Amino acid sequence: MLKNAFLTLLSLAIAIVGGGGSVWYALKVQDGVGAIRIGQWTAFPDIGTPAADPYSKARVAREGVLALGRAEGLSFVAERDTGGAELKRECTYTIEGGFPTARFWTLYAADQSLGVVETGKPRLAALQSYGVVRQPDNSVIISAGHHPMPGNWLLTDGSGRMYFVLTFYDTPIASSTGLSDVSLPQIVKVGCNA
Amino acid sequence: MRSFYAAMRGLLHAVLLGLLGAGIVHIAVLLLVPEFSERDAWSRLSMASDLYKMTRLDAEAGGAPVVKSVDPLFYATACRFDLGEGMVRVKAPGHVPFWSVSVYDRSGHNIYSFNDHTATGGVLDAVVLTPAQMIDVRKDLPEDLQGAIFVEAPIEEGIFVIRAFVPDESWKPIVSHFFEQSSCELQDF
Repeated sequence: MLKNAFLTLLSLAIAIVGGGGSVWYALKVQDGVGAIRIGQWTAFPDIGTPAADPYSKARVAREGVLALGRAEGLSFVAERDTGGAELKRECTYTIEGGFPTARFWTLYAADQSLGVVETGKPRLAALQSYGVVRQPDNSVIISAGHHPMPGNWLLTDGSGRMYFVLTFYDTPIASSTGLSDVSLPQIVKVGCNA
Repeated sequence: MRSFYAAMRGLLHAVLLGLLGAGIVHIAVLLLVPEFSERDAWSRLSMASDLYKMTRLDAEAGGAPVVKSVDPLFYATACRFDLGEGMVRVKAPGHVPFWSVSVYDRSGHNIYSFNDHTATGGVLDAVVLTPAQMIDVRKDLPEDLQGAIFVEAPIEEGIFVIRAFVPDESWKPIVSHFFEQSSCELQDF
């Protein structure tokens, strides 16, 4: 009798803890279903639309996100460099390459919650395409680090994990057909302050 | 020995049943999260302000941001509406480098979006209404609604969000002023 009660309780405990925990974990990880990967960059074009999968819907409801619409823009998030290592706030990176067609784009360094990195200075940890210096072939080279650098400098600060968020506004790539042949810039690690 | 095997079998049975239950609970919880969330955009906005009231989403207006407005180079403002009470008209005179608009339903799904290239002369003037209200309006379009963008949304409660690009520091007062002038009100018809 006692054994049966124990086994029933065990089953229930596994079901509730396992079920709840797995949902919590699935909503916490950045990756997930419906993601489109281009190089190191990940986008969720369907997030926040009625066509989104249940995981995206739950994430939207839990975090109170109001996702960008198709006519507004499309965001890409990078969490690793070309070497496959996680991006760190104490490291210096070069972001270089061509950018797809858009009216303009913005790039910022983000923390775990995808909010902009606090720099403690008047300069934001963000750049936008109207304010960057371009190469003769229209590509852009951006240096991200703690200390000022020539060319385009993206200020970062602090230590720990970092993400880059690249958002294209008023862009044809946000429509479902355009995403296949898009190339995005590379993120190359230059060095780290240990 | 035999009773030991029986006990192990019982334990294995319980664990397997538990895992099956975990799968069911996983699906159930996942589908119920949007239904019961008190942290979604609508709930956060309703704690901050009333219906038909423009509320800044970025931290610039003071205090913590109501809904996370992600891009640091953007300002955003939102108002909640209820089409059951009538159609809602949103206007924002003035020019900024870029603005875009999204209409969300009660659960935060993006239903419709457009940007300043869509609008006549780049001026934001939009009406959100249900298909039934649209039929009424079509019969006799009022003079002052002729230049407006009509957004037909098969919803009742919803959120209207305006986002505007702030290229640098010098644009901050201009974009703030753009939002201060914006209005979100019930349109009589």
